[in-house]
Amino acid sequence: MFDFSIVTNWIHEWLLSLMPEGWAIFVECVAVGIGIILLYALLAIILIYMERKVCAAFQCRLGPTRVGPWGSIQVICDVLKMLTKEIFTPKGVDKKLYNLAPYMILLASFLTFACLPISKGLEVLDFNVGIFFLLAASSIGVVGILLAGWSSNNKFSIIGAMRSGAQIISYELSAGMAILTMVVLAGTMQISDMVSGQSNGWLIFTGHIPALIAFVIYLIAGNAECNRGPFDLPEAESELTAGYHTEYSGMGFGFFYLAEYLNLFIVAAIAATVFLGGWMPLHIPGLDGFNTVMDYIPGFVWYFGKAFFVVFLMMWMRWSFPRLRIDQILALEWKYLVPISMVNLLLMAIIVTLGWHF
Amino acid sequence: MNQETLYIAPEELLVKMKQLKEVEKMDYLRSLTGMDWGTPEENDTQETMRGLGVVYHLESTSTGKRICVKTSTLDREHPHLPSVCHLWKGAELPEREVYDFFGIIFTDHPDMRRLFLREDWVGFPLRKDNNPEKENPLRMTNEETIDTTHIYKVKEDGSLSCTDRKLFENEEYVINIGPQHPATHGVLRFRASLVGEEINKIDVHCGYIHRGIEKMNESLTYPQTLALTDRLDYLSAMQSRPELCMCIEQALGVEVSDRVKVIRTIMDELQRIDSHILFFACLCQDMGATTAFLYGFRDREKILDILEETCGGRLIINYNTIGGVQADLHPNFVKRVKELIPYLRKNIQEYHDIFTGNVIAQTRLKGTGVLSREDAIAFGATGGTGRASGWACDVRKRLPYAAYDRVDFKEIVYTEGDCFARYMVRLDEIEQSLRIIEQLIDNIPEGSIQEKMKPIIRLPEGSWYTAVESSRGEFGVYLESRGDKSPYRLHYRSTGLPLVAVVDHLTRGAKIADLIAIGGTLDYIVPDIDR
Amino acid sequence: MELSTPSPWGRLGWGPMYKTNMNNNNYFGTLFSGLCSLGTGLKTTMKEFFTKKITEQYPENRKELQMFDRFRGALTMPHNEANEHRCIACGLCQNACPNGTIRVVSEMVETEDGKKKKQLVRYEYNLGSCMFCQLCTNACPHDAIAFSNEFENAVFDRNKLILTLNKPGSVPSPNPSTRAGSKMSEKNK
Repeated sequence: MFDFSIVTNWIHEWLLSLMPEGWAIFVECVAVGIGIILLYALLAIILIYMERKVCAAFQCRLGPTRVGPWGSIQVICDVLKMLTKEIFTPKGVDKKLYNLAPYMILLASFLTFACLPISKGLEVLDFNVGIFFLLAASSIGVVGILLAGWSSNNKFSIIGAMRSGAQIISYELSAGMAILTMVVLAGTMQISDMVSGQSNGWLIFTGHIPALIAFVIYLIAGNAECNRGPFDLPEAESELTAGYHTEYSGMGFGFFYLAEYLNLFIVAAIAATVFLGGWMPLHIPGLDGFNTVMDYIPGFVWYFGKAFFVVFLMMWMRWSFPRLRIDQILALEWKYLVPISMVNLLLMAIIVTLGWHF
Repeated sequence: MNQETLYIAPEELLVKMKQLKEVEKMDYLRSLTGMDWGTPEENDTQETMRGLGVVYHLESTSTGKRICVKTSTLDREHPHLPSVCHLWKGAELPEREVYDFFGIIFTDHPDMRRLFLREDWVGFPLRKDNNPEKENPLRMTNEETIDTTHIYKVKEDGSLSCTDRKLFENEEYVINIGPQHPATHGVLRFRASLVGEEINKIDVHCGYIHRGIEKMNESLTYPQTLALTDRLDYLSAMQSRPELCMCIEQALGVEVSDRVKVIRTIMDELQRIDSHILFFACLCQDMGATTAFLYGFRDREKILDILEETCGGRLIINYNTIGGVQADLHPNFVKRVKELIPYLRKNIQEYHDIFTGNVIAQTRLKGTGVLSREDAIAFGATGGTGRASGWACDVRKRLPYAAYDRVDFKEIVYTEGDCFARYMVRLDEIEQSLRIIEQLIDNIPEGSIQEKMKPIIRLPEGSWYTAVESSRGEFGVYLESRGDKSPYRLHYRSTGLPLVAVVDHLTRGAKIADLIAIGGTLDYIVPDIDR
Repeated sequence: MELSTPSPWGRLGWGPMYKTNMNNNNYFGTLFSGLCSLGTGLKTTMKEFFTKKITEQYPENRKELQMFDRFRGALTMPHNEANEHRCIACGLCQNACPNGTIRVVSEMVETEDGKKKKQLVRYEYNLGSCMFCQLCTNACPHDAIAFSNEFENAVFDRNKLILTLNKPGSVPSPNPSTRAGSKMSEKNK
């Protein structure tokens, strides 16, 4: 497995030979920041294209076909269109908060995005309570949604924001609990350690039953956290037109849209990291030949492959089910997911204590 | 279908109507039509109706007896009649319609506002002496929403007193659902007062697609009026157009051939399937199941292709004529229909898999928006909505027309009255429609497809009311003729107006999401409400 | 939200999903049956994921695209090879039209045998206000007008929708009512 830290260290050395350490770190930060933004935008475009194609296939349609081969340039055109649209501020909005809200959401997803271990040695933020940081950072997003709904001076928006607040805060609980279950199994909160701990089997296999339950719960809660169907009622178009982002146009709306898809990717990527071994190839103990072949596939391919697989699962869910009602969403969380994940956490603790995992 | 007609003077209307309701058990108000019979003339006989008035068509759901009641007042300055909406809740919106078009004030009506036209409209357009274009230029101002309504009462001395009633208090959280809203299925507007997520009260605003079809009909010849029926309820075009044809044929005393009757029945059922599939698709879309929506549209396409091949149109079908049909069945018709039946059976199973059985759909639909049988009758909510509440109101069974007397099908009746029952009625009716088509498709009798008609059709003097079961309820036509080549009055009993009237009743205390489910399962179509 | 009356849903025989009783109050029973129903939905969509798609790729399939022959695209006046049409300028179509879509401009001409005869000058048809009700074609005694299958009628200027149906230089057919197999002759049989 190729270790990217060789490359990053080499760049670091090279920069040190040119400038003092403070400057070198500054330049590296800027470079990494730009890299993340570029990757972020690229992923969003790929995800939106994927969503349109996958949803079309589920619905007996073809999806975009016109612009570029198989419609592949469609999303880029949409981005250009969105960039050139007039930014319209409705009357009576709280200007400061109204303009701040999309950035709050972006900030949250950037911070979370930076935690993702894309390949060996390519972790941007990696420290001993990484998972903890990740959970904390991802929950900033709800502030942005609440601000957007509140500041828009629109009754639909405020209802959407309130729904979203209730929903995201609730589902954070079970999502966090599902991840904690896996932390118990992995025995570490540092993301890089967690991934390298899975070299002899991904956690979803080593943790068997409780890991599987945690995975399902995490998928459901993750879907709810990104406000995607069947949990898309903060922006339920048949009820609230567009919910909290009704009053945004141009890139203001674009940021919400971008963040929605990136949050989808982040949820999938966290699932890939925590349950499916991150960039770690598929290793079957005993089959050394097979394991070596697997090792030749670069880590980031594994990582994105797994993440997109989870993304596909979530799209499949989204395009199959009708939307829930607000009381049903809360009932599902508090009556089913929270108790089950608590019991599951306990079960995992017992299994780990008794050493019943693989 | 001729029925007993009663003339009741306005003074004793309330007493007599109460008797009819309570003694004769006339619990279903089929239709309420405003009329302007003009001012008295010298050569009037005792029977001639004059003045501004209302025609009520009543039916008893227990005995099946039907009666037509007419009343009128000669006062054209301040015409007023007693309101009957405390006897039949379904009278509330039609009485507002009559007020809107004829200016007849209904005393003791809780909400005497215009229904379709703008608040600043001058005059009452369906009065024979009114020229709506003269006083109503195209107004470039926005219509202000007025939060007060009026209640009129008769004072001791016979004059009217008016009290204002506030619809919404200032502190209420009122949101507009519509007129531009994905879930209202057209340009309908609900003003909903919310308490958190729960709906406190709903005020319906109609008229955003009002085209004055009833007014236009008064200056069109009979064949020309037909062209507008496809534009009422566009998902029942194959039912409302033959209905008007049948009404005119009945007035003319023309009997169409067996072939035409069978063709009309098959087309009617194809249209019903089309409408019910669209119902399924739109309900799914409203509830967030976008995929199921497209499955519905995929299958509807097949039906539209069949219709287009024979009739040349998909939505505006334009097929029936007075005394027959426009063109004979296409040679491919029988083959295609026979292919369609197994195809639909297979795909309806898919609908059940993806939506009916889904736990989310079930929990959202079951137990929400329960309409009792009594309320369904009182509101006149016919069609699938009425049958879901246990009211066997299918006109095809009550008053068979076309070829319905010779086919065997089951009237689907559920008793729950909730959204899920309304949904299941529609899906089960698709199966029954397929059965009807199966029985007829192999034995379409030979015969002429068009009776010989005069070049200019004039109807004898008189009035007729006939009804058919359209895709979403009883669609009736009230036709009054004075012997001219165009009708004196042609009123359509809207299938959707009673359905919209029950929305407020059903959504009290429900959530916003329930409003969507309730609206979706009531299955109203706005052009048919606004006409 | 459960109904108090016994529910008939369980009795409906549509495959296994409808037989499961959704109303049981058993915590795990509800959970399990709910998950099963979600599974059925997922199975259905996955099946459709791999079936053939139904999208019609419209401008690309222009060549193969065949409208049904009864489709009403726009009103036309068929002309034969000699640039003759069958319109006798009687104006019945104009009278039958509910929208005032048709305007028949005619003039009186003298025929060779000295009789005065109405002749068509211009047949104006406003596609923008036509509602394709077929009253004009029904009224026409000589089948001079018919609906075409042309459906790409969009234009950028409303004035372009006002069409003149008789071709320039066309003349009325000397014997208009003898078109074999025409709709009218079928009707008269």
